[in-house]
Amino acid sequence: MPSLDEQSTVGTMSVIHTDELTKYYGDVRGIEDLSFDVEAGEVFGFLGPNGAGKTTAIRTLMGFQSPTAGSATVLGSDITDGNALRTVRANVGYLPSEPGFNEAVTGRRLLEYHGSLRGDVRSDELLELFDPPLDRTVGAYSRGNKQMLAIIMAFMHDPDLLILDEPTSGLDPLKQEEFLEFIRAEQERGKTFFFSSHILSEVRKVCDRIGIIRAGKLVALEEVASLIDRSGKTVRANIAGSATVSEFDIDGAHDVTLSGGSAAADDATETNGGDDATSITFTYTGAYEPLLRHLLEYELLDLAIEEAPLEDVFMRFYGDHDPETAVEHVENGRGDRASETTDV
Amino acid sequence: MFETARFESERRLAGSTVVALGLAAFATMMVLIAPGILDEFDVDALTESFPPALVEAMQLDVIATIEGFMALELYWFGWLLVLGVYVTYSAASTIAGDIDDGTMDTLLAAPVSRWHVLFEKFLALLTPILVVNVVVLVVVYAGTRFVGEPIAAVDLVAVHGLSIPYLLFWGAFGMVASVLAPHRQIAEGIAAGSLVATFLVETVADGTDIDWLGLLSPTRYYDPVAILTASEYDYAGAGVLLVAAAVLLVASGVLFARRDIQ
Repeated sequence: MPSLDEQSTVGTMSVIHTDELTKYYGDVRGIEDLSFDVEAGEVFGFLGPNGAGKTTAIRTLMGFQSPTAGSATVLGSDITDGNALRTVRANVGYLPSEPGFNEAVTGRRLLEYHGSLRGDVRSDELLELFDPPLDRTVGAYSRGNKQMLAIIMAFMHDPDLLILDEPTSGLDPLKQEEFLEFIRAEQERGKTFFFSSHILSEVRKVCDRIGIIRAGKLVALEEVASLIDRSGKTVRANIAGSATVSEFDIDGAHDVTLSGGSAAADDATETNGGDDATSITFTYTGAYEPLLRHLLEYELLDLAIEEAPLEDVFMRFYGDHDPETAVEHVENGRGDRASETTDV
Repeated sequence: MFETARFESERRLAGSTVVALGLAAFATMMVLIAPGILDEFDVDALTESFPPALVEAMQLDVIATIEGFMALELYWFGWLLVLGVYVTYSAASTIAGDIDDGTMDTLLAAPVSRWHVLFEKFLALLTPILVVNVVVLVVVYAGTRFVGEPIAAVDLVAVHGLSIPYLLFWGAFGMVASVLAPHRQIAEGIAAGSLVATFLVETVADGTDIDWLGLLSPTRYYDPVAILTASEYDYAGAGVLLVAAAVLLVASGVLFARRDIQ
């Protein structure tokens, strides 16, 4: 079985590599032209809403279904080569999105069975973190207990690569935090993660890079930090006097909203910041200087510039209002990044 | 190796025991009522009152002996039909059921090949086959001696032993249904329906113009009535069933290795 060490001596082989990976179910698109690499030691977030194709991609990578077109390797093994992939799976931990178990047996018997299939080197240690009631039959488990059992099965043979499909679903918030903490610790032990999720806040906490998938296609692929950078700032300014939305139609400003002052002239008593003040809120993706110059044209009562919440960033990629534009925007951005990286 | 076969066998034990007890209870009842019925039987009157074709099809001419009575009442119905349906239905639910409830994903995440998974799940079908055969063999042997109508032990062992290739055939057939059908219930329906259909075809076609049609029926290759009433053991038929089972099993392996698990 090729270990990660052996691979790194071979060269720059990625832990997961996909090349225009495509899966159609009949005429229905599951995923299309997915191309990305997951490098050894990173936590790669695979982000998208339900139905975007995350599970399709993961199950194709696991070899459960064959791709319609394109290719992919996992730990160097072609996913269409059943024997090679089977060998490699000894070094892969997989957590399904909806873990299915034989419900008539106890958790203990299931762990023993799956341990005998894949090896069990650390279930005792894992059971201290994740503690499903082992002596009960799995059919009586809550969703959270099933999830914990599935987590133990994914990690019990101490694999180098973990493919986790919505791993925190079903866990209570405290366990979710513990699990994310656990992933960070495992990453420090050199493990590689492919982590699908539709929850940005958790991805942001653990992932180094993310790929965003929408309607089966990859629409963004970048480092979390850079995504946050590019996503811009939320600007909240409180100015004396009145203003109109069009006055803030400056380069890089999006979603300008006004309240108080002239914006709410009929209801002037309810304005914040005095009798004649206006609150302006918008997302800003340009440089600071032109923004500040523009703001200084007004009498500034208060100003806050902060990182845009990742949820807003996410909304831009999935923008309900105009998805096509959002995708175009992202794809252009991606093109820029690609040229930057080739320069390096 | 064989962890899956062991695990699946454990899971089959409860159901197998229930079927064994059910068929054992039925066998006990048949054994207990047999002497009284056999005394009263007027075979000539019986065969005359039915059309010859039906007498032939139902093999009514041999029903007046304990061997013929048990062969028709217990084995012909209980083994060819009931146990056969149970085995093929169980086989059909294996792969298709695991795919339906997501268990297959959990299983195939381990470094096991699909061939192994399929073969070991098939092997686990030996649990119901062996448990039911052993329990009922003991019950019928002891019971017929208890009521003073003993059946030759060799014939009894043969009627149970030669049922194993027949049941393995239906197990393998169920595996094919299991890997082909999109859902568990469809697989179970195909498997059980096919068994009932071939059983009826053989019963109807036997000795008629369409007798050749019965050649396609597995029932043709295992005849409990001939074994018990005439001590005729159809080893060639058992061989045909075993070869056919092997072919079906390989076919299901090929199909399973290729199919998408959705």
